Amino acid sequence: MLLRNVFAKSLWDARRSLPGWTLAIVGLALMYSAFWPSVNSPAMADALAAYPAGVLDALNAGDLTTPAGYLGGSVYGLLVPLLVAVFMIAAGARSIAGDEDAGTIDLVLAHPVSRPRLALQRLGGALTAMAVVTAVLSGALVPLRGAFELGDVPVSGFLAMNLQLALFGAVFGTLAFAIGAATGSRGVALGASAAVAVLGYLANSVFPQLTALEWTRSVSVFHWYLGGEPLTNGVQWGGVTAMLATTAVLAVAGTALFARRDLKS
Amino acid sequence: MAESAISTEDLRKTYGRGSRGLAGLDLQVKTGEVYGYLGPNGAGKSTTIRILLDLIRPTSGHVSVLGLDPRADGVALRRRLGYLAGDFVVDGRQTSRQLLTYLGNLRGGVAAARITALAERLDLDLDRPVKSLSKGNRQKAGLVQAFMHEPELLILDEPTSGLDPFLQQEFVHLVREAKRRGATVFMSSHVMSEVQQTADRVGIIRDGRLVTVESVESLREHAVRSVTITFGGIVDPEAFVQLPGFTDVTVTGATLRGRLSGHTDELIKAASRYPVLDLLCEEPDLEDIFFHYYAGENGRVAA
Repeated sequence: MLLRNVFAKSLWDARRSLPGWTLAIVGLALMYSAFWPSVNSPAMADALAAYPAGVLDALNAGDLTTPAGYLGGSVYGLLVPLLVAVFMIAAGARSIAGDEDAGTIDLVLAHPVSRPRLALQRLGGALTAMAVVTAVLSGALVPLRGAFELGDVPVSGFLAMNLQLALFGAVFGTLAFAIGAATGSRGVALGASAAVAVLGYLANSVFPQLTALEWTRSVSVFHWYLGGEPLTNGVQWGGVTAMLATTAVLAVAGTALFARRDLKS
Repeated sequence: MAESAISTEDLRKTYGRGSRGLAGLDLQVKTGEVYGYLGPNGAGKSTTIRILLDLIRPTSGHVSVLGLDPRADGVALRRRLGYLAGDFVVDGRQTSRQLLTYLGNLRGGVAAARITALAERLDLDLDRPVKSLSKGNRQKAGLVQAFMHEPELLILDEPTSGLDPFLQQEFVHLVREAKRRGATVFMSSHVMSEVQQTADRVGIIRDGRLVTVESVESLREHAVRSVTITFGGIVDPEAFVQLPGFTDVTVTGATLRGRLSGHTDELIKAASRYPVLDLLCEEPDLEDIFFHYYAGENGRVAA
């Protein structure tokens, strides 16, 4: 029964939005993957060669002439993480702050539900939604990779990439959750998380083009997610560990700050 | 069972921007009574209730509800409470049945038959989305969720504001039934009429402090009511000016107007010497009661 507790209810509340987001993210990934056979031509390789390397780096499009390079650049490098970040930031900000802004959180907390339980079950709902999206994405791309001429990318590469994508989404969802839980403001949660996402993207793709700013890459969620080319090399444990630890710290901090503050009336 | 259902000592709540909260509230609500918590908007009624529910935390002072600390034992305490706010807001994309099932499950389950029975009694259609309901019908869903698990203590924040007379009457029945089975009811309002039918005692709060606590009976006696009597002929104002508790007397033609506090007996007896065509005695106005307590009777200011 999906009305059993806060966690189940949060999934039930997502019964319309989650299929929509899943369709959008998986659809976009499939569409761009389907372009690969037409992109994979000598003419395109020549055209790309004419671009300065800095521009290609800025678009996370290092090497678009191999299947893994194309997937890691166009599909998993830019559009899919962008959508995933938007999806998870919205979900995280909604989980506490959205409910509080709407004035509907008082009723639930007037029931025998502790604040940590409410916060963690809501966050759990958002993270479960992320897992659903990446599971469907893997389930669609892996069987279709032959048809899209992406067979050179091993199944383990797809699975590693999607695992890291799920954790990438988890970091941003938990960041928005934590800021919202600490402040009670959905606007602040959305704005600050979006700023972190943009800075994280720049820190991975643009800032390191200056030698003095190369270090910024190491603190970028985008680097944790993409670094080491998981499509080719499998799970990158450094990035996975960084994303898991960040998610855990944000979850604990957001829950603790939520439990100690006054709710907005 | 604790002697007091709700007890606060020198409870203070200061908000950051220097706005008013509570300024040393001493509140005693006895187990099994219906307590009307009256005050103008901004007096601190909602602040008190939000502290009782642990939605906000007091700056200082002591608070105990059903013998428990709302902060430390919040979950155990809220299992025994029912709460209803005047503006019952929930996500509109669910039916009342889904909402009530969910809320019941948060309490470990409430029998579907109990929800259905209450909904039928209040004439609430459980299968319509909440967003398609009028304010009155939404408030019915709120009443069901507050009463459905038969809590020991009901905390009701302006529960019937904007409800039609039918629902107000049903509300009165629900409160009386709860009292009969031994529950305590703590009900805030800014209008006397909302609580006077059910409350045993009334506490009046102003600027974050309890100004007085009285039984509804004695509050009524102190209340100033405006009285208009239309006679069959000209009357002598002198006969009425001297009546105890009857002030601001004016006579225009055959109509007598004045403000009455205390018993009606002397006025009725004086009026009965003339043919009375019509008698209008307005319900006591809360603002008048406030006026009574702020107009110099300092000795009465007590907890």
